[in-house]
Amino acid sequence: MSFYQLIVNAKWESWASTLVYLPEIVLCLTIVILLLLRLPRWGSRISSLGIALVGSVIAFVLSIPFETTAEANPEAATTAQPVSLLQEETSPNPPDIEASSEETKAYKQPGDTIFSGLIVYDGLTIFFRQLLILFVVALLILMGLTGIPDRDSGADVFTLILGATVGFSLMVSSNHLLIAFLGVEMASVPSYVLAGTLKGRRIASEAALKFALYGAGAAGVMLYGMSLMAGALGSAHLPTMAENLAQLTANGVDDRQLVLFLGGLMILVGLAFKLSAFPFHFWCPDVFEGATAEVDAFLSVASKAAAIGLLLRFAIGISGVPGEPIEAPAAVAQATSTEEAKNTFDILAISQTEATSLTFAAQADQEKTKLEEKPVTDPDSSVVPIQDLIVFLIGLMAALTTTFGNLAAYGQTNIKRLMAYSTIAHAGYLMMPVAAAVALLSKDQAGAQEAVASVVVYLIAYFFMNLGVFAIIALLRNRIRSEEIEDYAGIVRESPGLVVCFGILMFSLIGLPPLAGFLGKFWIFAALWEAGLITLLFIGGLNTFFSIFYYLRVLKVMVLSPEPDHRSPAAIPIISWPGLYVAALTVPVAILLVFWEPIRVYSLWAAADLFQ
Amino acid sequence: MFTQPIGVAHYLVVGAILFVCGIVCMTTKRNTIGILMGVELVLSAAILNFVAFSQPAFRVDQEASLGIDGHVFALFAIVLAAAEAAVALAIALNYYNNHSTIDVDRAQDLQG
Amino acid sequence: MDNILWHSVFFWAFAVITCGFAVMVVLSDNIVRMAVALIFSLSGAAGLFLLAGADFVGAMQLMIYVGGTLVLLIFGVMLTAQGPFISLKAGSGDWIIAVVMVGLSLAMLLPMAWSVPDWHGPAMGASETKTTKQTALQEEAEADQETVVVEHNVSVTEIGLSLVGVRTDLNQEDQESGQLPEGYLLPFEIVSVHLLVILIGAAYLARAKRPRKPTKYP
Repeated sequence: MSFYQLIVNAKWESWASTLVYLPEIVLCLTIVILLLLRLPRWGSRISSLGIALVGSVIAFVLSIPFETTAEANPEAATTAQPVSLLQEETSPNPPDIEASSEETKAYKQPGDTIFSGLIVYDGLTIFFRQLLILFVVALLILMGLTGIPDRDSGADVFTLILGATVGFSLMVSSNHLLIAFLGVEMASVPSYVLAGTLKGRRIASEAALKFALYGAGAAGVMLYGMSLMAGALGSAHLPTMAENLAQLTANGVDDRQLVLFLGGLMILVGLAFKLSAFPFHFWCPDVFEGATAEVDAFLSVASKAAAIGLLLRFAIGISGVPGEPIEAPAAVAQATSTEEAKNTFDILAISQTEATSLTFAAQADQEKTKLEEKPVTDPDSSVVPIQDLIVFLIGLMAALTTTFGNLAAYGQTNIKRLMAYSTIAHAGYLMMPVAAAVALLSKDQAGAQEAVASVVVYLIAYFFMNLGVFAIIALLRNRIRSEEIEDYAGIVRESPGLVVCFGILMFSLIGLPPLAGFLGKFWIFAALWEAGLITLLFIGGLNTFFSIFYYLRVLKVMVLSPEPDHRSPAAIPIISWPGLYVAALTVPVAILLVFWEPIRVYSLWAAADLFQ
Repeated sequence: MFTQPIGVAHYLVVGAILFVCGIVCMTTKRNTIGILMGVELVLSAAILNFVAFSQPAFRVDQEASLGIDGHVFALFAIVLAAAEAAVALAIALNYYNNHSTIDVDRAQDLQG
Repeated sequence: MDNILWHSVFFWAFAVITCGFAVMVVLSDNIVRMAVALIFSLSGAAGLFLLAGADFVGAMQLMIYVGGTLVLLIFGVMLTAQGPFISLKAGSGDWIIAVVMVGLSLAMLLPMAWSVPDWHGPAMGASETKTTKQTALQEEAEADQETVVVEHNVSVTEIGLSLVGVRTDLNQEDQESGQLPEGYLLPFEIVSVHLLVILIGAAYLARAKRPRKPTKYP
């Protein structure tokens, strides 16, 4: 009976879901092939790097959304238009599936959920998946150029990278707490091993140990928070949870407030660990110093991107209620709003010592009063107190993270530690628009869409900047056998091209005008302005100013200081494979501003499905 | 005490005690294996919560119980915890091979 | 004395075992004693699962957690212990921090656990909204005064089928009302990939490096 049921229930839904899930399936197949190739004797002659590269390139091609026939789904044609625009740029011939299309069996369109509501397949999913897989391709090429990992451990390391990538893609597309937890575990556990790639070195194994212990603790706390959250809301499916939450708030039933608050806080702890946000950042510099620069690039770009994606899914998923409006007496909503706000401020006031956070609290308070004076008319006003709480928590964490990261970067002498603190600071910048998006959710949907689009733009810029910097660090390490900033002295006279690239990347990380970093930061600050989070905007601006000095200090050492006598030659000509690789990452940073319009269209399209 | 039926809240209390024990274990133990045991306690607390939330007979609002979702979540948590423990142990052994200790206080090469 | 609920008695027994041994894990200075206390604590938790009607999860807790994970941990103890028994003394400063932490977190978590009146126990009277299955069980329970506690066991078949994407525990109206109920086909498949990756990762760290040619790294 059960097997029969299984066959009967093997619905079209599963097949249609599989079709749009092909990139991940290809990644999984690549893992299996990498493993099986070690069985036959001739298998060792095949380059595992090549297999991994081919697999991830195929996955990238498949991750470009293919268009179904317009007549099969007429209303989707309008939303899919920007996709076709993008397709012309990236892929000349999208996969042709017209032949098998039938009217009853609708293909999955962006905006649908797949695998019976566990995963949401929308523009944001497509963007993150493309970004992550493209990053893996670039990282594999870098690993081929630097020779880490060596031939022996290549297959293992590539397996871990691909496995973690599947986890990242689960994280950013999760619509269910189980998928979110599974994704976090799938992403972090291989990362622990990756941090200890060079297993014979003392600091590598220490980095892996610290990462694994802190990570396991954070995952445990997160799971406990998820159990409270799911139990209090009676579901683990995010949209259902959001509906139940809105209903609870609308009915004025607040006996579950404490459970929900603690559960949410614990989930935030887990996410903050993945993002290396302020109170949970301590693993980041140690792990970055102990791991190789290639793995650092992976952790700082792919891991952060996936974590910010999951934060977006949670923050917007739990506080935005799609569908029918809930009739809530405005007075009740108001009362809970003030009450909850007071509660939160009391709880958080204990931990607040910095002046910045206090001003922020005052600002948020002001905003809240402003918001309350305005007559609440929109139907989903019952979620406003929840949104305010989320905005406050994420905003506070973003402000502290950015400030701390930038201040702590000053004393660093090791370039990887410096970049670790820089990563922490950028995680703070990335969290700011999430707060803005949630703040705008019930007021101005277009504004919230802009805010999410700014995350997309910033991540595109961040991809090139950080991968470029870590590639240069890895290439220089292979030449001069050092990662100390002082050993970079006067390197401009040996490899001027590389230092020019490094300078462009550094200026972009600061966010100076003509470069990609400026574009991303400008959008984020615009979104903050739109959301009225002026304090956060001010903190972001101030931090940009702080960050100038420590980035430029590295550049100063490279250009002005005299070379030490005892250094092996560091010449990496720009016309060589490593040089061209770095240049290929730097050029987009320099000219991204020219493509302002297509990037704007693409990022708005990616963010659009979140608000339907 | 024995004449009252058990509710979700009783299970949550047990879960909370396990959770606190796990957290304290993670923060006070100096041995890597000891810390991992603390993590196991925390995960066990979470699984206990899921199981309690799944039972409709433990609560008044029976419709809101998690049902099979909670059981599946608990099963996946058990599997993922086992996998995580395996990797953490492999990392600890690798660390031991390099340092001849698994005392985390002596992990001082990287100063945070 | 006449209306003792044996379900509650067993619950309290298992709860005391679980929490007591968990406290022992924290207080013990000896890693081997800790491991043994953890075995008892997790076994007690498995008993609590069984009492909550989660037969399959309870069995898995015993088999995977107690049987697998803990044996793994004990292997770790044996491989890394220098002496026959290694002891780990925590400093007095650590204990002060620990006591403060216990106080703070229990002060938050225990009121939280008790904060929802709906969760204090089943409604003794008849509740209006119930599915037919539960109502039947409830009536049966009311008929039999011995077992007031209503058990709703999830069968292994239901769990197994939900893992391949078929939900048999929900009635058909739920399925047609809108969205499909969540079948867990995808996580069930993808976790196998995860386990494979983990296996490779752990083996990578554990196997000795073949010293054939040095890496380019210093």
